Amino acid sequence: MQPSLELIDVRKAYGDFVAVGGVSMVVPPGTIFGLLGPNGAGKTTTIRMILDIIAPDSGEVRLFGRPRRPEDLERIGYLPEERGLYRKMTVVEHLAFLGELHGLGPKDATARAERWLERLELADRAKAKVEELSKGMQQKIQLAGTVLHEPEVVILDEPFSGLDPINQGLFKDVLAEFKAEGRTILFSTHVMEQAEKLCDHICLISRGRAILEGELAEIKRRLGGNSYRVVADGDPAAWARIGEVPGVEAVVPGEGEARILLAPEAEGPAVLRELTGLLAVREFRSREPDLEEIFIKAVRDAA
Amino acid sequence: MRLDKTRVIAKREYLSRVRSKAFWATTVLLPLFMAAMFVGPVLIISRSTSHLDAVLVDGTGVLGPGIAERLSTRGPGVGALAEVELEVVASAVDPEAQRAALDRRLLDEEIDAWIWLDREGLAAGRAEYHARSVSNTLTQEQIEEAISTEVQKLRLTEAGFDPEVVEPLLEPIGLRTLKVSEEGSRAEAGEAGFFLAYGLFFMLYVVLLLWGQQVLQGVLEEKSSRVVEVIVSSARPFELMLGKLVGIGAAALTQFGLWIATAVALTAPALVSALGALPEDVGLPRLTPVQALAVVVFFLLGFFVYASMFAAVGACFNNAQEAQQLSFLPTAFIILPIFFLFPVINDSGGTLAVVTSLVPPLTPILMPLRIAVEMPPFWQVGLAVVLTGLFVYFMVRLCGRIYRVGILMYGKKPTVREIWRWVRYA
Repeated sequence: MQPSLELIDVRKAYGDFVAVGGVSMVVPPGTIFGLLGPNGAGKTTTIRMILDIIAPDSGEVRLFGRPRRPEDLERIGYLPEERGLYRKMTVVEHLAFLGELHGLGPKDATARAERWLERLELADRAKAKVEELSKGMQQKIQLAGTVLHEPEVVILDEPFSGLDPINQGLFKDVLAEFKAEGRTILFSTHVMEQAEKLCDHICLISRGRAILEGELAEIKRRLGGNSYRVVADGDPAAWARIGEVPGVEAVVPGEGEARILLAPEAEGPAVLRELTGLLAVREFRSREPDLEEIFIKAVRDAA
Repeated sequence: MRLDKTRVIAKREYLSRVRSKAFWATTVLLPLFMAAMFVGPVLIISRSTSHLDAVLVDGTGVLGPGIAERLSTRGPGVGALAEVELEVVASAVDPEAQRAALDRRLLDEEIDAWIWLDREGLAAGRAEYHARSVSNTLTQEQIEEAISTEVQKLRLTEAGFDPEVVEPLLEPIGLRTLKVSEEGSRAEAGEAGFFLAYGLFFMLYVVLLLWGQQVLQGVLEEKSSRVVEVIVSSARPFELMLGKLVGIGAAALTQFGLWIATAVALTAPALVSALGALPEDVGLPRLTPVQALAVVVFFLLGFFVYASMFAAVGACFNNAQEAQQLSFLPTAFIILPIFFLFPVINDSGGTLAVVTSLVPPLTPILMPLRIAVEMPPFWQVGLAVVLTGLFVYFMVRLCGRIYRVGILMYGKKPTVREIWRWVRYA
């Protein structure tokens, strides 16, 4: 199947500042794709280039298996990280406006807006002005506006930041439903646990570069064979030195504990012996690696 | 450029404004307010009659009663601004004492003025007017006129003419103003023509400023509410800007069009004569449909010139306070024509008027002004449209570049150098 979205070595610099220094990725159709990385890694710039909000300096954006065309954007729904609505418009008019902007006819757009309001249990607020709604309600409206035109690809930039727990649940439900309907979802986040729970595919971005990309399960198999959890007593200086232990590739520090990822050839018992020289180890257990460890290792490898 | 996106955005901008109460309140109240501003003072002056108690020291012994009568019969009525009650006294033996006494009465506020008229002055063509305040020039003119007429009558009589014959010969002449255009001549009060041009000028000025500000606020609102990024994910920033300009421009045109249509209707000959509000030979100035159309075209051109600047300024900043720094720029372009207002009205075909009305940033306000005063040659109007049209194209492109980068910039206020870099990037 043709990938829904493909980036080929996309780059963007502002003067001397390199926002995106070469990102390539392939988003297969019907998947939930996570664009991961710390704040400032270049996720938003990458997304803006996908949507033609800013033009890349070089590289190519392909949609639906061919170079992007202007009309492709009507098949995409986008929820930016910085989001808002026109405060003085009524809810139903606002949704219809967003629908029309994505190519729906006025009647169709209004009908769909009303259906979504039913579904979000906001039908009674259809004629209310946006500014009269609570923040949580506005978030729902925003989501409805993103998907009103039933896009084949939904792109969400940090969708869960600032959401209340009820809306987080709602958003997750909608994403799952979209996936079931065969739509492609790309979302960015800096919270690895969220991505781990939701994504099929991921792309890790660090300092403007894609450093790891592929199917999540495969990545875990490939990179995460050798992960341990360490619980121990020791002073911070000692904890800080566990990354220097031979065979340790990544450390995710915690409170009196750490998750460590070992090199594939490293032996657990040998590492444990080294660790006991630094700390009073109480627990040392093999475990499935999490994305955060993989991310840290990938960043280190890329450096 | 996808016109459907621009259309959807323009529709939203238009409807959200035209449906608001503020729009209709402004549409109705602003002309009333402006009318009150222009007509009010005129009405007040023409209706109010000030009263002046004056003493005329008549050294001639013959002129006094005539002057007093002339002033009293002119009384309150058309053209008479003051009710002058004249007490005529003969000159005393000791003029210095008489003058001192009159000054005393003046300072005691017993009288408002005293006038000294004697043979000597008459020969030199001079009379004296003494008052606590001498700034009531209109009343003085009135007195001057009365004295002049009586003096002329006296001189003629003394030269041997029959007073009965002289009297009607001295009747003053008033200018009946007729405006000549291709459609023929017709009577029009000079002041009225001035007020039409003046009123039109201020209407353009106010409307362009108000609606330009609307664009500025609209852009700032989109930025501060962060709604802009949702929009630019499906419409290009240039399409968004153009949609805004078209939508807000259409709302402005709706308002302005209503006013112009009202003005055309109110000054149409049929209605004016039906109302019978004015004497037949004093016509109100007329705004012909052709003139109205030309005015509307320049209004639209002006809107695009100034509004695109306001849009670019709005895009550069995060809030109104920050934007204030640079919003003086488009505002200055709107205000600048005021300096040329009076020269252009006075001599609308003169070199200054022709040249300034062809300079694109000034054209949208000065050309309609000229059109209201006197229809300029067609080539000038055409050239003005072409030049301003090119200028609009240039401005919309330039401001579009600033807008494109600016609307996605949050946080730090950009410097002028940075804004210039945005223009070059694009």
